[in-house]
Amino acid sequence: MTKIVYVATDGSRTEVEARDGDSVMRTALANDVEGIVGECGGSMMCATCHVIVDEAWAEKVGPRSDGEEDLLDGAATEPRPTSRLSCQITVRPELDGLVVHLPEAQM
Amino acid sequence: MLGQLDFAPLDEAITIDALTLDPYPIYKRLRAEAPVLRVKSVGRTLLTKAADTKHVKDNPALFSSNDPKTPMQPAFRAHTLMRKDGPEHVSERMAMNASFMPKAIKEHWGPLYERLAEDYIGRLPRGETVDIFKALCGPIAARILAHILGIPEATDEEMQRWSQTLMDGAGNFGWRPEPFARTDVANDEMDRHFDAMVERHRAERGPSAFAIMLNAERPIPMSQIYSNIKIAIGGGINEPRDALATIIFGLLTETEQFEEVKRQGAWSAAFEEGVRWVAPIQASSRLVTEDTEIRGYRIPKGDTVMTIQASANHDEELFEHPERYDVFRAKNPHQAFGSGPHHCAGAHIARRTVGQIILPLLFERFPNMTLPDPDVVQWRGFGFRGPINLPVRLA
Repeated sequence: MTKIVYVATDGSRTEVEARDGDSVMRTALANDVEGIVGECGGSMMCATCHVIVDEAWAEKVGPRSDGEEDLLDGAATEPRPTSRLSCQITVRPELDGLVVHLPEAQM
Repeated sequence: MLGQLDFAPLDEAITIDALTLDPYPIYKRLRAEAPVLRVKSVGRTLLTKAADTKHVKDNPALFSSNDPKTPMQPAFRAHTLMRKDGPEHVSERMAMNASFMPKAIKEHWGPLYERLAEDYIGRLPRGETVDIFKALCGPIAARILAHILGIPEATDEEMQRWSQTLMDGAGNFGWRPEPFARTDVANDEMDRHFDAMVERHRAERGPSAFAIMLNAERPIPMSQIYSNIKIAIGGGINEPRDALATIIFGLLTETEQFEEVKRQGAWSAAFEEGVRWVAPIQASSRLVTEDTEIRGYRIPKGDTVMTIQASANHDEELFEHPERYDVFRAKNPHQAFGSGPHHCAGAHIARRTVGQIILPLLFERFPNMTLPDPDVVQWRGFGFRGPINLPVRLA
């Protein structure tokens, strides 16, 4: 199991145990983390699973996938340099302790 | 492996007429007794549980949208993105997607839509009883779409007629000639209208879907630009129209909630609950590409399954008292906008225009609106559903 930490805009932290192979979006939904919608189920079509990866983790998480940029560009909250769609981040052991920040709005 | 499994049961009693008049009691029974059911009148395998509809939508390799042989082909005179999968679908959709995203709505469309809403709502006569479905829901949905697509000179009447004609043609599964004769006329009108806009969009480079597609670094072919705009016309008017009418009905028949929504300004929640309660798009079809299994039943390659999101949105496993319009339910994981690669491209626009602009303005102007006789309101539709009349008293 891999620990993922979601930080809301008010600073409150939700720590969950994630299954390797799941996405960070799906993990949030499975654990009732508020602030991630993921309405298109991970198809990179809705941009409602936007997260800002904590800078300490940005390199380990890696770059945006093909096509992710276009959606983040139009997202409800202006993307930052480490913004990702959490459906495109796969949970794996080296991400144990990953911290992602939630944006102000997804829709 | 699938050899031992049974096919889903076959129903020969359910009629399309019954589904059109009131499908919800039928779906309630199917969820409990036969959540995977071949329905003879529809010619498809109906899936009525939320987990199954989501599973199908999220697995496009196994459940394909690709179907060049639907009546959509002659109706749109094109194989449109709605009936494609994979990279082809993605490139055509992403060509116009930027116009439909929250950022474009915030930066470009918001102020215009507020003016349009003030204008259309401002024309409604105070103190009278009017059919708000005809007087507001259809026309404002048409006007908003005309602007976002980049064809603002098309009239409300043209937009609504083109849209209905395309939908009638796309649903012409009996392949009768008349609906296609009407779509031919509409296609000619739309093509002429689009032709006349091309130069202006090349010069102005605005934020509309038409302009963005034309002015892209590597534009998609002009034929696809046109069919994309037609798909948006065919699929972008009746849904916000029906959502708006459904929400107004819900609020005016649940007066305690209506008061609380006004007090809290909970218009977005009122919107989400409306599209859950009566999803404007009730059902979608997917072609099965390989033998598979759903709930222990054999679903053979070549079968067409129909996801009933109307029923998914009433699934007792996810929703308490699903038959009731309840703005303040704790969770609302509805599938009204679908899921997977074909997730509704207009979801953000609908949420912002209907949920954040039109509803608050409408009830700011008419805070004491009433529905004098809910029983006269008629609801229709199997594939698409909403009220077809809504006489309200404007006060």
